[in-house]
Amino acid sequence: MLNIPSLERRWLKYKIKSYFPYMLFSFLTVTLIIVITIFIHLEESNKQTLPTLVKQESKDIILQTKDINPEIILEPSMQFIETMPSTVSQSTTTSVSIPILPPKNVATMQKIAPISPPAKIAQNVIIPPSLITPTIKSTTQPSSIKRDTATFDIHEIEDRFKNNSNPHLGLYIARYHYDHGNYNEAYNYALKTNSINNTIEESWLIFAKAMVKLGKTDQAKKTLQLYISQSNSDAARNLLDSFEKDVSK
Amino acid sequence: MGHSLFSKPKELFIDIVNPRDYVQIDSVSHMYQNLKSSVQKPLKMILLYGKPGTGKSMLLHKLHHDLSKHQKVFMVDIPIIDENDFLRVLAQKIYGHVNRDAITLTTFLELASAVNYPQTPIVLLDEAQLYSTALMEKIRLISDARALKFVITLHKTDDEDIIAKEHFQTRIWESIELQNASPEELKIYIQKKLLKSNCFDVANMINDKNIKIISRLTKGNYRDANKLMFSLFSLYAWFEEYHPSKINYNSLKPKYIEMAAIHTGLIHA
Repeated sequence: MLNIPSLERRWLKYKIKSYFPYMLFSFLTVTLIIVITIFIHLEESNKQTLPTLVKQESKDIILQTKDINPEIILEPSMQFIETMPSTVSQSTTTSVSIPILPPKNVATMQKIAPISPPAKIAQNVIIPPSLITPTIKSTTQPSSIKRDTATFDIHEIEDRFKNNSNPHLGLYIARYHYDHGNYNEAYNYALKTNSINNTIEESWLIFAKAMVKLGKTDQAKKTLQLYISQSNSDAARNLLDSFEKDVSK
Repeated sequence: MGHSLFSKPKELFIDIVNPRDYVQIDSVSHMYQNLKSSVQKPLKMILLYGKPGTGKSMLLHKLHHDLSKHQKVFMVDIPIIDENDFLRVLAQKIYGHVNRDAITLTTFLELASAVNYPQTPIVLLDEAQLYSTALMEKIRLISDARALKFVITLHKTDDEDIIAKEHFQTRIWESIELQNASPEELKIYIQKKLLKSNCFDVANMINDKNIKIISRLTKGNYRDANKLMFSLFSLYAWFEEYHPSKINYNSLKPKYIEMAAIHTGLIHA
């Protein structure tokens, strides 16, 4: 004798069971498509916003530099750059920063580059494209290297810096030289560090302070003004204030 | 329930091997003609094999039904496993030798030579895979002596290829393999069975989609198809009595076919 209600329940169970793999597959497929779409969308939006920001930044720099002094050029001294490793040397000989400015602005850029923080290193020192995008790692650990003045050999660190171009090492060396009164070296290493990573605040501060010590107070102030305009750094603003107070005294 | 449209179709699919229920399908019909002509040849042994539910037993019964009108044929549909019993039953059924004592092979062959039939008697053995090797050897000796002609059926399963066994390989003079029904053959089988009994309304309800489902569930196994159709028509008979509004008389509902399959165990739910 057939038990129809029981058979119907078993049939329903069977149908759910037989459709389950298809439902699971459909769900996974839809989820995968959504995830891929979101990922692609994010990638595209990142690509779109980054160049826009860089362009705006560059335009601002152009405008400001015109007001200040377009002919100021900062250069490393004592053939410093020539002693750096080949990868760094290549970037120093490049005169145009392609990712930052479109070709029509090259001439302007060449003139104002020394003052602009991302390119201010630069009539001769241009930031490599891979370093233009600020990385979290470099911005979050700007002063992670502790000083140890007791037992180290600064030349060894300088060699390491030449080999790996680590901006934190550059900052460390610049700081060391500045603390020891070697302002020329401090200036050079800070300049080099900025060329590798232009987002390290302390490097810009040492750079400006070294310039002041070397008697280039005006250049230091203009550099800081540009840096402040881009980074809105309080520390840079305070330093600039202190320079102006010193001048007024 | 007795006047249900589906009561008669239900009875048609009760799984009983009856030569009168034999449905002619082209491929099976061709096999049957081959089998019949093989039996007329001076062969000692004929093997009919195939997967379960391919219609071997039905063919054997049909052969028995048709041949028994003209010559001495004995059908052993339930295997006689004991060797002495086997020979005793054969001696009794074919040669009329009534003896409750065990018969040796020599005695059996003497009986066979003593009785003179115009045509060699035929023994039809169903489910021959159940016979022991020793008994199969005796069957071989009897057929070699031309005392009897044997037509045997074997299950050929995926796990064990029984016809590869030595006594079948060396002694079989003709073998016929039966295949599972294709969807078209299954459709013809079901339709013919219904039409033969004047169940036209029910036969018209079965469409190609229904056959596709039935074929998928039964894998072309006639026995399973019989069981499924029996359950299906039982189910329809129930609905006709208690929920007639749920029946669509234009076609069979796939849901009900699947429910019948669950009931018969073709679907494990």
